Formats: sequence, C-alpha cells, structure tokens
Amino acid sequence: MGRTAPTYRQALEERLKRWDAFAHLLTTPEDRAAFELVRTGARRYAAQATYVGSPDLLEAILLSVLTDLAGRLRAAEPERPPRR
Amino acid sequence: MADGAPLPHGWLLDITESPDGRSVVLWVKDRTDGRVRRAAVDFRPPFLVAGPGDELRALLRRLRDVPAVASAELGVGRPSLFDRRPRPVVRVVPRLNPGRRALAREIDASGGYATFTLYDVDLGPPQLYHLARGLYPFAPVAGSGPAWVATEPAETIVYRTPPLRVAPLELRLEGARRGRLPPPEGRIAAVRLGDVTLDGPEEALLRALVDELARTDPDVLLTEGGDAFDLPWLYRRAGACGLSPGAFALGRVPTAFSPTRPARSFTSYGRVLHRDATYPVPGRFHIDRSNSFLYEDTELAGLIDAARLSRLSLQTVARQSPGTCFTAMEMAQALAEGAHVPWKKNRPEGFRTGASLVASDRGGAILLPPVGVHDHVEEFDFASLYPHIMVRQNLSTETLDCPCCPRSPYRAPGLGYRSCTRRVGLLPRTLEPLLARRLAYKEALRVPGLAPEEARRLRQRVKMLKWILVTAFGYQGYRNARFGRIECHEAINAYARELLASLVAEAERAGYRTVHGIVDSLWLRPADPGDPPDPERFARRASARLRLPLGYEGRYRWIVFLPAVTHGLGVPNRYYGLYAHGEFKLRGIGGRRHDTPTLLRRFELEVLELLRGARDADGVRALLPRALARADRFAGRLADGAWPVDELLIAHRIGQAPETFVTFTDSVAAIRQLSAAGAPRGAGEMVRFVVLDRASRSWRERVRAAELLEGDERYDVDAYLELLAREAELLLAPLGVRREELLRRWHVAVAPERGRYRSAEVADQTALPRAAPGAVT
Repeated sequence: MGRTAPTYRQALEERLKRWDAFAHLLTTPEDRAAFELVRTGARRYAAQATYVGSPDLLEAILLSVLTDLAGRLRAAEPERPPRR
Repeated sequence: MADGAPLPHGWLLDITESPDGRSVVLWVKDRTDGRVRRAAVDFRPPFLVAGPGDELRALLRRLRDVPAVASAELGVGRPSLFDRRPRPVVRVVPRLNPGRRALAREIDASGGYATFTLYDVDLGPPQLYHLARGLYPFAPVAGSGPAWVATEPAETIVYRTPPLRVAPLELRLEGARRGRLPPPEGRIAAVRLGDVTLDGPEEALLRALVDELARTDPDVLLTEGGDAFDLPWLYRRAGACGLSPGAFALGRVPTAFSPTRPARSFTSYGRVLHRDATYPVPGRFHIDRSNSFLYEDTELAGLIDAARLSRLSLQTVARQSPGTCFTAMEMAQALAEGAHVPWKKNRPEGFRTGASLVASDRGGAILLPPVGVHDHVEEFDFASLYPHIMVRQNLSTETLDCPCCPRSPYRAPGLGYRSCTRRVGLLPRTLEPLLARRLAYKEALRVPGLAPEEARRLRQRVKMLKWILVTAFGYQGYRNARFGRIECHEAINAYARELLASLVAEAERAGYRTVHGIVDSLWLRPADPGDPPDPERFARRASARLRLPLGYEGRYRWIVFLPAVTHGLGVPNRYYGLYAHGEFKLRGIGGRRHDTPTLLRRFELEVLELLRGARDADGVRALLPRALARADRFAGRLADGAWPVDELLIAHRIGQAPETFVTFTDSVAAIRQLSAAGAPRGAGEMVRFVVLDRASRSWRERVRAAELLEGDERYDVDAYLELLAREAELLLAPLGVRREELLRRWHVAVAPERGRYRSAEVADQTALPRAAPGAVT
C-alpha cells in the first residue's frame, strides 16, 4: 500500500523474529514457555501501542509485555480477584 | 419535479465524442415514442495555462504559429482552489479535441515542466459539455436539440429514470463450451440477444444480429465477460467474414472494431490486478458485469445515480472504481464553483522527521478480539464515520493548515493539523450533499407501503453512495488524486482513533464491557448480562454526546472470533456470528474470499446452517460433534474420488509477470498449460485449476487449468483433504479442532512442521552452494 512507515504490528513482528535467536538457545521447556508469554504479551496490546504512536518501538513493546505480566500477577493474587 | 416546470421532452442518455474531433453528440430518448435520437453540436472546450504574466505573453506569441491551436487568449481567473486573487491565465482551444493532451504536453515541456500549471487538460469533452450547459446523464430535458435544457438539477433526490430496454448478449462458439478455451478461429454458432437466439451460417448470423438490434433497439447490452470475450470475438469474426465496421455496428452508429482502451495490469493496495479492454458501443450502453465493480452491488439504479452526480457516461461509470466516480464528483463541484482541475497534482508531501512520520502514518484503531465463542454481544457502528469527520472538521486539501486561521480550534488529535474556520473546503462541500442524499434514500426506504421495485432501486442507490463515501477517504492518500492530500488522510484517522477511544469510555459508563473494536464498529457485552443496558438508548446518547450518528446493528445469539494460525491470538477481521434477527455476519472466512473452491464453500455453508440452530455460546459448543461428523462425511466423499472437479477449482491471482516466476507452484503449472494452449495470462489475471498431483514436477501433470478441464480428471485426494482440514480448523479452532488431528483421522500423512527459527549460521550454510558460481549441484 502507499504507506511509508511500517505499521506497529509489522515492526513488532519484525522485532519478534529477531528475538527468535534468543529463544533458540533457551535450554529448558520452562524457559521457552516463559518466553512464549513475553511474545504473547507483546502482541496482546498492539492496538494500544499503535494508539500511542511512539517512535520508540521498544518502549511500546515493553509497555505491552509489562501490562500483560501485571495482569497475570493480579489474577494470581488470591485475596484480590481480577476485575476482568 | 416541481409543479409548473415544463414537461420534459425526454431524457439525455449520454454524450459521446464525434469522430470529427470538433463536436459532441447528444443522445436523447424521446418520452412519447421511446426512440433515441442524436444531435451533434460543435464543442471544443479550452484548457487553461497559468504562470507568470510575461511567460504567458511569450507563450501566446509562440502559440500563434502552432497549427494544432484553434485559438489562444490571455485573461484572468482563479483556477486553483488555493487562489484567493485572480491571476493571468491563457485559455487554449485545440484545433481538434483528441489533440488536447499532445498540445498540453508540448506547452508543459516548453515551460520546462515548471513554469506553467495546466488545468482541465484530461477532462473529456462530454464531461465538460455537461458542466458547461448544466446537463448531466439521465437528465430530463426540454426544448429542442441540440439546445436541450435540463428541467431539474442533477442533485434532485426523487427523480424518474427513463424506461431502458436491457438486452443480455451472449455468444456461443462452434464446438466450444463457455468457460473452456475457445478454438483460435472458432466460428460463432449462436448469439443470444434478449429473448431471441440467432443461429445459422456465420455471416448471415452476424447480419441477422444487426437486424435484430435495429428491430428491438435495446438501450443496454448486458454481458458477462463482453469486454474480454463476446465483443472482441464478434468484431473479429465480423472482420473475418468481410463485414466492415459500417455494416456491423452494435451501437446506434458504427464504431471501429478496436477497444477504446486496451487491457492492462496495474497495482492497487499492494495487489497486482488486471483490467480487461474496454468496448463501449456509441448510442447504447455496453455493461460487462464481470468488468464492473459497481454493477455487482448497485446495478442500474446505482450506476445511473453515480452517472448523474459525476457527469460521467454510464459506460464509463460502470467500468470505473468508486474512487474515480468520487473524483469526478469533486471535479464537477470545483468547476461549478469557478475553480478548475489541475492536470498534474503539484503538491509533493512536505519534509518531516521520522518521529512525526511514525506518529502520523497510522490507520484507525483496531483492537484484538478475544478468541472463542461469545454470547450477549451487541454491535454498534458509526454510520459513514469518515465522511462525517471530513465534513465536521472541514478537512480538505485547501483548508488544512491554511494561512488565515493560525488559532483554529479544529486540530487533529496528536498531530496538530489545523483546519480553516472561514471557508468550507471542496471535500466537505462535495461530501455533505452525498451524506444527505444517502440519508434521504434511507428514510424513503422506511416509508410503509413502498413498492418493491422502488425499494430495490433505493437500496441500490444507497449502496452506490456507500461505496463512493468509503473511497472518498482512501483517495485523500492516493498520490494521483487530484484534490487529495496525505495530511487530510492522516488527520481523518487521528480523529477516528480518538472517537473510538471516547466511545469505549462512553460504553463502560453505560454498563458495557468492550469485546472488540474496528475503526468505526464496536462489539460490547453488558457487564451484567442479567441486567443489560438498553442498546438503542445507549446508541442515542452516545450519538448526541459525540455528535456523530452511532447505529445499533443488533445483538448476536453468538459470535466466534477466530485465531491466527501463526500465533493463536485473535485476528481483528476474522469472525462469524448469528444476529438475533437470524442473519449471519461473516468476515475473513471462506465464503467471503474469492479464491475458495466450491467444495470448501459448501462445507462452510453446511457448518453454518448447522450452527444456526444454536441459541447461545453453549449451544454452539454442543454442536461440535455434529460439525465434525459433517467434516468426516465430506472427507469420505472426497476420498472416494467422486467429487465433481468443477467444485475443486482453486483460483489464484497472478501476482507478477508469468515469465518471472522462479518457484514451481500450482499456479505456474496452470499458467504454462494455458500458454501452451495459446491463451497466455498476464499479471493480475486469475488462473483457476484443479490439483491432480501436488508432488509432480511436471507442469502437465501437476494441475489442470479450468479452461482445459475434460471433466474426468483424477484429482489429488490428499491435497483436497488437506484443504478441507484447514478449512475445518479455520472455522472451528476456538472449539479445539486441529488440522493435524483431522488428517490423522482421515489417514493422511501430516507434513512435518518446519522449524520456526534458523540461526544465522544455518542460513549461511544453506546459502553457500547457491552463492558460489559454477558450483556442482
């Protein structure tokens, strides 16, 4: 299409592909599963990251992953049931 | 029509260019006897040249001796939308209308492509005649030819159209089935025109066709593939029989046996597409359903509405994209207001930083849907969101960041682009009547006791306007759009993102939770399904608050959001659901895609019909075993080898010039077969084929192209079981259906999954032998 800049979703996939190398040398299934969580977290908030429109790709990815992890943490806390 | 207006003599159907190059022909259908009469009128419209005064005077002196110029005179005008004060312009009348562009190019070149700006060069004389005389296609006209006067304006909402005689036209060749490859010298065995089928020896048959055309005198020749096949074939055979264009005319006057526009390949939205040659027939309308995007959806009533508003001939409108129609409407608006149409858009995008590009080059907001089956979901859509934003925020090429309003309160969120507060831009001026028109048609549709024919016409017009309004936004970002400007495109998106975000907040306050959202649509679920908010009331309140019409589309009994094959998270535009009123909404699944074989459509249809019985999400889940049983039944019949091959055709659009393919694929095999059979295909065309042996390296054995099918081919059972499994997974993945499991169940060897990651080292090693020249392989 007539776009000049790649979309956030495209840039994210490009970066995740680079991270494949990181996963390649993870040696336990637990580590690999944990890394999958990071990847999923990064993708889960693509809409919100796009909305920010920051030129800093890593900032957007980190925000997504952290939000995802914080959500999982809240859900795991026994005394405070999750809102969603 | 207002009372007291003169009764129209008839309707202006079309204006065409005369072969003499100095006049146009008006075709008027008489109201009383229904006959179409022509009247030629001298018309050589000028084009405009603007530039510095002394350069224009020098140009005037030079043009005096140019034979291609009939006249050239210096005057003043405000040709550009940006002009606030009159400036000198030269009006050039070419000696012959077809010489317009060549002359304009010469003038442009003489100014080094920089000194002069040219206007109105590539508008057709018929289009300009309409605008100069206040006429339009299908105008009711009074008076006498050629000085016809329209009795009502083009924008009239309730109007009568002339009764048109529509005749389907179709050829049959000797010894050939339609859809199969015609023999190169195939004689015409029969022609169907309307209700009559003509046959007999070829030359007599062609002459009989001309007689039949004269006898029934149809206004519209409706074909299915006429631009690609029927008309060129008729002309070719007429030539072979020794008939001249004068003796074999399909229009109301003779025309050359050649297309007015050759076939071509082009790129749109990243896809290579193909457009057939164009064969209009003067005095009548040739509409090729398969070469008309708009006809499919809007039919004659929609096309006529578009022709009226754009001042383009019905034959042109039928073959154009909605975007081109909208541009023509903008041109008409501009010319009616005294501005002119720049030939070349001299408005390159300004320089900017990478950060501002990242911030501005974004689309609407698209959320990630939760994969799975859901119920209690309600859908809300903004009606014509983007056009409304353009009108409300006064977004137009000449109103954005204008010098007169540095303190404008209209600012694109996050981008800061201002719009003018003093003058309404061309884009809003063009759009506002279209929005009002669409609303008027929709309201007319609600009137009780409407005749079914009238309702149909109104619905077709509504659809046409919808397409036009949708493309109006996209064309802002198109580099060749005459009045487009990329910053408008960006500003519209910025406003739209902001609106969707506000709507999410609004919905939460009203007691909803957001399930999914795409640009102008929102799917919501009550926070407490036992006590849901009133959706109509929410839509009304949100409309009032955001000052935009938010419509309530309906409640779903259930809706399934589908995952991506690659990562398992939701895909924004892939879902299917059943509204409470019993209609399905399908997006991104087989039936909506053009390349899906009938086999898979059938399967999808059966599954959907089965799921129609589910009242909620649990109901859908409960039906899974029965859906799987359907899949097994399809697989069993496929494995018997008895499925009709016509239903196994896979369609592929050729994405590049066929000789540039380096990998051997099914499509490549089909292309080579067709080319060996004397029917080469170009980039952007479709090939359709049945897979016979997907492992074969031979282009003869791997597939069979649709045009070469005999009907008794043995298809590759595993290849189609694989496709079926993929389709079943696509539809039912949220219920736990996996492709591999189905294939194991059907005893098909599952292809091992390829490794996701290849390290730099591995990639280098496999690349080595190929990189070394002369390496032995």
